[in-house]
Amino acid sequence: MLRFLVRRVIGALVILLIISAITFWLFYAVPRDPAMMSCGKNCTPENLAQIRKNLGIDHSIPVQYWYWLKGVFAGRDYAGYGYCDAPCFGYSFANNVPVFDTIMDRLPTTLSLAFGAAVVFLVLGVGAGMLAALKQGRFLDKFASSASLLGSSLQIYFVGYIAMYYFVAQLGWLDQPSWTPFSDDPVAWFSGLLLPWLVLAIIFTANYTRMTRSQLVEQLSEDYVRTARAKGLSRANVFFRFAWRGAMGPIVTVFGIDLGTLIGGAIITEQTFSLPGIGRLAVKSVDQSDLPMLLGVTLLAAGAIVFFNIIVDAVYALIDPRIRLA
Amino acid sequence: MPDLSHHFHFKAGSMSFSRRNFLIATGVAAASTSVLSACSSGSEGGSSQDKAPKVTGAKTVEIPVGTKADSTGPAPEVTGAVKGGTIYSLQQFDMDHMDPAQIYVSTEGAITVPIMRGLTGYKLDAKGNATLVGDAATDAGTMKDGGKTWSFTLKDGLKWEDGAEVSSDDLRHTFERLFATFVTEGPRYVQDFLVGGDKYKGPYEGKSLDSIEVDGKTITFRLKEARADFNFTLAMRAYSLVPKKHDTKEKYDKQPISCGPYKVESRNIGKSMTFVRNEHWDPKTDAIRNAYPDKYLFQMGYELVASTDRWIADKGTDQYAVPIFNEVAPERIAQVLTNAELKKRVLTAVDTVTYYWPINMTRITDLKVRQAINYAWPHQQLQTIGGGAYSQEIATTIFAPVTPGYTKFDLYGVDKKPGGDPAKAKALLKEAGKVGQKLVIAYQQSDTAVKTAVAIKNALEEAGFTVVNKQVDKSTFYTQIGKIDNDFDLFAAGWSPDWPNGYSQFYPCWSGKNIGDGRSNYAQLNDPSVNKAIDAASQIADVAEANKAWGNIDKMIMELAAVVPDYHKIRNYLYGSKVGNVIWDSANTCVALSKLYAKK
Amino acid sequence: MTSTDQQPFLSVRDLKVHFSTEDGIVKAVDGLSFDLLKGKTLGIVGESGSGKSVTNLAILGLHDRDRTAIEGEILLDDKELLTASEKQLERLRGNKMSMIFQDALASLSPYHTIGKQISETYRKHTGASKSQSRARAIEMLRRVGIPQPEVRVDDYPHQFSGGMRQRAMIAMALVCDPELLIADEPTTALDVTVQAQIMDLLKDLQQEFGTSIVFITHDLGVIADIADDVLVMYGGRCVERGTKREVLRSPQHPYTLGLLSSMPNLEHPVDVPLNPIPGSPPSLLNPPTGCRFHPRCTFAEKVEGGLCSKEQPPLEVTNGRGSACHLTADQRAEFFTDLAGSAAN
Repeated sequence: MLRFLVRRVIGALVILLIISAITFWLFYAVPRDPAMMSCGKNCTPENLAQIRKNLGIDHSIPVQYWYWLKGVFAGRDYAGYGYCDAPCFGYSFANNVPVFDTIMDRLPTTLSLAFGAAVVFLVLGVGAGMLAALKQGRFLDKFASSASLLGSSLQIYFVGYIAMYYFVAQLGWLDQPSWTPFSDDPVAWFSGLLLPWLVLAIIFTANYTRMTRSQLVEQLSEDYVRTARAKGLSRANVFFRFAWRGAMGPIVTVFGIDLGTLIGGAIITEQTFSLPGIGRLAVKSVDQSDLPMLLGVTLLAAGAIVFFNIIVDAVYALIDPRIRLA
Repeated sequence: MPDLSHHFHFKAGSMSFSRRNFLIATGVAAASTSVLSACSSGSEGGSSQDKAPKVTGAKTVEIPVGTKADSTGPAPEVTGAVKGGTIYSLQQFDMDHMDPAQIYVSTEGAITVPIMRGLTGYKLDAKGNATLVGDAATDAGTMKDGGKTWSFTLKDGLKWEDGAEVSSDDLRHTFERLFATFVTEGPRYVQDFLVGGDKYKGPYEGKSLDSIEVDGKTITFRLKEARADFNFTLAMRAYSLVPKKHDTKEKYDKQPISCGPYKVESRNIGKSMTFVRNEHWDPKTDAIRNAYPDKYLFQMGYELVASTDRWIADKGTDQYAVPIFNEVAPERIAQVLTNAELKKRVLTAVDTVTYYWPINMTRITDLKVRQAINYAWPHQQLQTIGGGAYSQEIATTIFAPVTPGYTKFDLYGVDKKPGGDPAKAKALLKEAGKVGQKLVIAYQQSDTAVKTAVAIKNALEEAGFTVVNKQVDKSTFYTQIGKIDNDFDLFAAGWSPDWPNGYSQFYPCWSGKNIGDGRSNYAQLNDPSVNKAIDAASQIADVAEANKAWGNIDKMIMELAAVVPDYHKIRNYLYGSKVGNVIWDSANTCVALSKLYAKK
Repeated sequence: MTSTDQQPFLSVRDLKVHFSTEDGIVKAVDGLSFDLLKGKTLGIVGESGSGKSVTNLAILGLHDRDRTAIEGEILLDDKELLTASEKQLERLRGNKMSMIFQDALASLSPYHTIGKQISETYRKHTGASKSQSRARAIEMLRRVGIPQPEVRVDDYPHQFSGGMRQRAMIAMALVCDPELLIADEPTTALDVTVQAQIMDLLKDLQQEFGTSIVFITHDLGVIADIADDVLVMYGGRCVERGTKREVLRSPQHPYTLGLLSSMPNLEHPVDVPLNPIPGSPPSLLNPPTGCRFHPRCTFAEKVEGGLCSKEQPPLEVTNGRGSACHLTADQRAEFFTDLAGSAAN
């Protein structure tokens, strides 16, 4: 297990390194000039040159990348802002705030959104899938299946705006989506995120219902499930300890991927509900040609996916002893 | 990633380009002006409730220069206003800069009215009419040598938020630090105007600029050329005061020190900012700010649809919320403006920006061809594509109708034929022997860019042109069209003046002196008579005379057909039901923050 | 079956198991009766789809209740199973009656250790402690011949070889000393040597515990090895039954005859071809009219009046011996001649 982790973490770092290089390259692959974004109306060549110097982009692209890497691993001296300790991801081109600080500031929102929604869609999705599997072919099964189909074909901004209009503005059942740190006020944290969680859950639940149902149906027809019943184990016992155990693997895999991407930033959700998370940061950094921020956000998103991949593999091995980690 | 998508701009609507591009695109009106008769609050204009606002022909008003009495505090009371409470705001964007020297964007200028003060500023009367008065200075300044020397005297009793007196040293420092290398984003007018400014590198190496003289409480600026409107220039946010003692250079951008009625209590970049009262502010020193609420809480990150829906719902603290820059979302505009109840809470204003299409004078040298483009222009179609009469007023001039100096004229018959006059255009092309003339048109990506480009292509081709449309990446758009040597004949651009007069409208974009890579004379118009007229108008001290001269210059440029005016921007803002005295701040082109109060 | 004075331990009476599918009703078992005495082995023979596995799942009550219509009676030690509650059945399964399946790899949970799977059955039915049941699991593994059982007890099924898995399966089935063991083709997937070992093991265990065994197979060789009585199934019905000797030596039904002649036999010269039964098993959705075997039966046209395709021959049983065929005893004697008996030993 330890060897597995060490190997995978090293692999992950290599991947992130490659991603950072690709991001750097892609950023400059289209003609764009970040300095232009900070140049006022009288954008003279002298002023542009000064901005490039201040932003640290007055070098060739490979040299810029090298400085960036140096910043991450060894720290870096900025012309305008003094020495920046490792791991230094630089300063935002747009507002000169350290990238790392900004990401750390936004991360709680995105994490709350992702994990909260995950709890809801896991409970609802897996629960509905289990019921559907238990009641194969009956009304409940058909209802869950078609509801999940409907859910998966909906779009967040569509559901989001409608939900906000009815449940917040018209009926007043739910609070206006907003972000309050958990440490400030747990109740406000919860009520501000409840609607986004539910809306996100509507979209995701569908997939888990379908997956849980089909996995369980498959597992329930497995021979070992029949054996367990033949041993005299109860239906419930067999369902949870045998069939569900077998069904979990693929669900855990998809869950890991979903969680990874959600933490990389639920862009549309954050846009729709005006939540200050990583997703909005990503949009803003793209919009403003804010390379350091874009790199930070991209690495976080990639890192989250890679991280959850490792977790998924480890969990998979825990679930299924036939899988060996090496 | 499931949630990562192609929807970056899915509800951007009229603000489909980023604000930073907006800045360049419109010529951010950091201290631009507009005139109030063109604005109407919904509650007043109830008679024609489903008609779009109409601004053409609106009576324009001068922005007079106030007297010493006008500049003396306290600000006149707002009828019915009460003290206390909190005013909220829902904002799409946070401020990128809080160092005044770095502020050029109008939102940043507007939001900082309660905490920053310059030598001059705009005072609003009960109707919202603006007067230029002394803010930190006792009056709007004294001019000598026809405008080459300007003096201002600092008011007594002005204090920073730490209780320290605002000193003449602070004044000098404020202007000297504009030359530092970290100041790159703000306007450069004062730097260019001051004698010796081209060589000065800022105060941090111990050197001071000789053309700024301080004598007791009086500061004197010596300028290279006569600038009769220098006191208007100084009203830009970029020239607000910075305390020498607390100047942390580039770090000041994150921790500005206030000498206004409020100070920054807390700030979470990208999320929120809170202003609370500055106990050291004396209302007797301030003729501009009323400071009724105890607190301002700005909440950032609200897309237009989200904020509009919250204002429509008008629940909880949203009842006390005003927009700084979040207009009514295009998707909701019809719903809001056709609802009598909602319309009572709408502030409609015309921006000082004019969106237009400069014609590259170095490539399209034949006047008749340029005139033909003007005749063929499909104004009406473009207005419809851009959101209709609710959000666009068809332009026939470079001046916006709300800028002092605006003179109404319509050289190319747009009023009669808003859809264009292809026959007339074709005739002109024929006369010039240029039927089939090729036009390369550059435009930025946006929600409506393609539709717009197609409409223009169709109209111009009907008139006998051959059109090539080129979409240019928005991050490099202005770099590309700002190059002297470019391959475009016509490009989408726009401008709003930085202060309320013709100089700020015409010099940057139409003077032959401002041609150069990265400069804003995109048409590269270098007409001796226009140049001469601009120089002459800049010297006229009498405001009414000057305005007349600038109106004439507008007409001269249109006669040369160096540009196709497209439209003036109409903005509609919805606000909470418990916010009192929501009026338009013509000087900062936004809701007048310092005049608001929270209803009990 | 052979003697009537002994009370049968398992008694199946006119069992009908019908599934409803989208295409119609599948009559998987259509009127089956048999008895099994204590300590005896009944071999049930038939092709796949003949209803033999369904019968045994029905005995354990493991058929899909939602989609199955079931009739008749199943008495285990005089207790009616078809009307028993799920709870009652759970107490019986793995305890009084248990089952060994064909594919041990698929039939053992891949997620639990062998020891866990054996001991949980024991715990469930005896309420023994964890350590007691673990000790029991080790004991059972030793008894079925797993080397180093105290180590292998913590292995997962995939770490066992095929033969060991089947042994473990048997250990699991026998952990509560069941009185009835249903073995559903337990040796089919194994190679011949292992097969022989497993058969020996079953026989030893039967002797030791006095278990009654229902042994399901399509392999008459295995039947010859282990069964006391034989029941031949075709298309959901019993076509022939009797003692092993009777059925294998003197089959009365052309199908049994067919099965016997399709068996490879070491005693035959190598170049004598096998005679697989022509045709394919009958559809249970739309079974053939009359005798279900008649489309494949080589003797069908020999019966007068096309009776085979019109009328279902009744199963006539005397003293546990009987068959369902329209052929007369004389015809059989004439047609079957020396074909029979060669497979039996």
